[in-house]
Amino acid sequence: MTVAVEYYVLLSAALFCIGLFGVLTRKNALMFLMSVEIMLNAANINLIAFSFYHGNLTGQVFALFTMALAAAEVAIGLGIILVLYRNFEGIDVTVPAAMRW
Amino acid sequence: MATAFELAPAIAALPLAAFVVVLLVGDSMPKKGAFAGIIATAGSLVLSLWALATVAGGEVYNQELYEWAAGEEIAFHFGILIDPLSALMLVIVSLVALLVHVFSLGYMNEEGETGLPRYYAELGLFTFSMLAFVYADNLLMAFMFFELVGLCSYLLIGFWFRTPSASSAAKKAFLVTRFGDYFFLIGVVGIAATFGTLSFAGESSFVVAAEEAISGGETLFGFGAETWVTILGLLVLGGVIGKSAQFPLHTWLPDAMEGPTTVSALIHAATMVAAGVYLVARMYGFYALSPTALAIIAFVGGFTALFAASMGVVKDDIKQVLAYSTISQYGYMMLGLGVGGYVAGVFHLMNHAFFKALLFLGAGAVIILMHHEQDMWKMGGLKDQAPVAYYTFLAGALALAGIVPFSGFWSKDEVLYDALILGLEEPIFLIAYAMGLIAVFFTGFYTFRMVFLTFHGEPRSEAARDPHPIGAAVKLPLIVLGVLAVVAGIVNLAPIAKLTGAEIVFLEHWLDGEYGAVEGLTYHEYHELMGHETSYIGSETLTMLLGAALSLGLAFAGAGLAWTLYNVPEPKEHTRRLGRAREVLGNNYYQDEYQVWLARDLTLPFSRTADRFDQSVIDGVVNGVSSVSLFGSGRMKRLQTGVVTNYAALLVLGFLALLVIFGINGGWFV
Repeated sequence: MTVAVEYYVLLSAALFCIGLFGVLTRKNALMFLMSVEIMLNAANINLIAFSFYHGNLTGQVFALFTMALAAAEVAIGLGIILVLYRNFEGIDVTVPAAMRW
Repeated sequence: MATAFELAPAIAALPLAAFVVVLLVGDSMPKKGAFAGIIATAGSLVLSLWALATVAGGEVYNQELYEWAAGEEIAFHFGILIDPLSALMLVIVSLVALLVHVFSLGYMNEEGETGLPRYYAELGLFTFSMLAFVYADNLLMAFMFFELVGLCSYLLIGFWFRTPSASSAAKKAFLVTRFGDYFFLIGVVGIAATFGTLSFAGESSFVVAAEEAISGGETLFGFGAETWVTILGLLVLGGVIGKSAQFPLHTWLPDAMEGPTTVSALIHAATMVAAGVYLVARMYGFYALSPTALAIIAFVGGFTALFAASMGVVKDDIKQVLAYSTISQYGYMMLGLGVGGYVAGVFHLMNHAFFKALLFLGAGAVIILMHHEQDMWKMGGLKDQAPVAYYTFLAGALALAGIVPFSGFWSKDEVLYDALILGLEEPIFLIAYAMGLIAVFFTGFYTFRMVFLTFHGEPRSEAARDPHPIGAAVKLPLIVLGVLAVVAGIVNLAPIAKLTGAEIVFLEHWLDGEYGAVEGLTYHEYHELMGHETSYIGSETLTMLLGAALSLGLAFAGAGLAWTLYNVPEPKEHTRRLGRAREVLGNNYYQDEYQVWLARDLTLPFSRTADRFDQSVIDGVVNGVSSVSLFGSGRMKRLQTGVVTNYAALLVLGFLALLVIFGINGGWFV
């Protein structure tokens, strides 16, 4: 039995909104990073679902690329968080506000 | 074998080389570089004479040498034009420059002046610029060297720059002539923009172009062609009036007496001041197209002749008298050129170069004799103690006063004759003639007042009783020029030619291209362009005799008055009896005062207002615009908080806004 594509889209939209909510509201840099990951995965689900729906594997290949990208992103993101912790003795993203004009 | 024309660039290049050499190593040269200058100017003189002989042989030279900028429509170049006029002027300039260099040996070296290498270097540069100006083949090149001549006179007038009066006189000379040159520059640009060429001679000269425009009835820049030519001619004339010290820009010249006397001789006789009149003669074909411009030249000249002569009457400084006589004599040249007497004007330019160089060098000799005293009231009795200086000075004075048969008489008489015959046809020119005629009386008076006060009577000071001896370097140039001042008139004895029918008007034939000339630059062609009608009292001979008798009579009257008043053992200051008039004349008609007033009380407040307008309104608008944008961006930048979350929110909001816009445009919500 196959699940209809609408449910995947719904799931992906829900995940994206959760991630977005996290990005906009969380102060903890780790939570921030996780929220970004969730949004990325929402996109992945979309890619795979439509790829399956159209019977075309391109989307799945793209999803693989995105995962690799996400891994790289996490590496950099964790690096930034580490630096953040060293400089501000904490990982609150609202504290470092000096990078402007 | 190189021809004279192939070597022509060397005429100007030799003094330039002298300038460079003296400037670099002058201090270690014998006589501080005087010999370098003498050799260079002697070389120029020889080459100029050769060029003159070649022109006399029927050849002329009009060659473009180096193009330094070329555009789509016009190209600027350096070139050489050697025709009868410029060949003649080359000889005059290099001869006077050579004699001035020689005289400087006695005047500057023996007096132990400091800064002599600078002096000789500047003399070399001065000679170079004037020679290059003289044979320039286009107006822009002429303008450049015209400016260089002005710069050199600034440097030399301010040679003794440690005296405040000398440096201020130098600045004045520079600024006043620059004021005139400003108009000249506009004129040059105007001519280039109108006719697309700046050449003096040849098929593509601006003179030919102007002639065609006038005969074709073209409209140039919204004016009739003739009006526009007049405007351009008058703009160029601004430079002439400044350089040739014509009213109202003559004020710099008397002050320029602050320079060494040798420099005054060079400036007055052959270079700076001569450049203005020479320029009119050079582009005479252009002026001949515009009767209005010619009339203005004639009136400026006539008025200046009288005006300056009247001021010369009351001066006590020997160099001041000569300075005013220079202004006055250049007035005569302008008058001559303005009434169509091209030959007369050039003739007077030549004679004046000789006798004025003579008089200034003579005055220099007097100043050496007098241990650097210039006040004529402290002189007297030098006649017996310095006969060479006396007789040569007297020859120059007789020429200046226009006493027959000295050179000045022939040329001045010809100028006045040309003015008279034109005036008889067009009475308005009789006014200019009358001014020139009255000036003859004043000239005779102040010239002989100067001679008598300086050389006659009893010595009136210790220095005059025991004069400093003068050397051969001083006497030699005086003798050469003295001879020239006596005999130079021989080249154009027009009155005698008219009386006897003998063919002895060599200069007229010379300038008329009978020996060789560039087409379009000859006397009769100018005459045809002008189309002046002339008439006579009775016959041509009678008019000529009447005019000559009148001017000679006035000259004798002036000289005679000076004789009775000043040729006494103990002359008195008779000018004191002039009362108020003396005050006005002594203050030069308050010309300096009114020009200072113009500058300080009229121009300065005006410029201040303009400055205020610029500062407040113009700058205000610019500052206002920028402050609006500054304020706006100050507000805008608050959007940037530096907090990552806010950026993310903005991103999302922006994305949503885009979606909405696309949605509305794409019609999703309908």
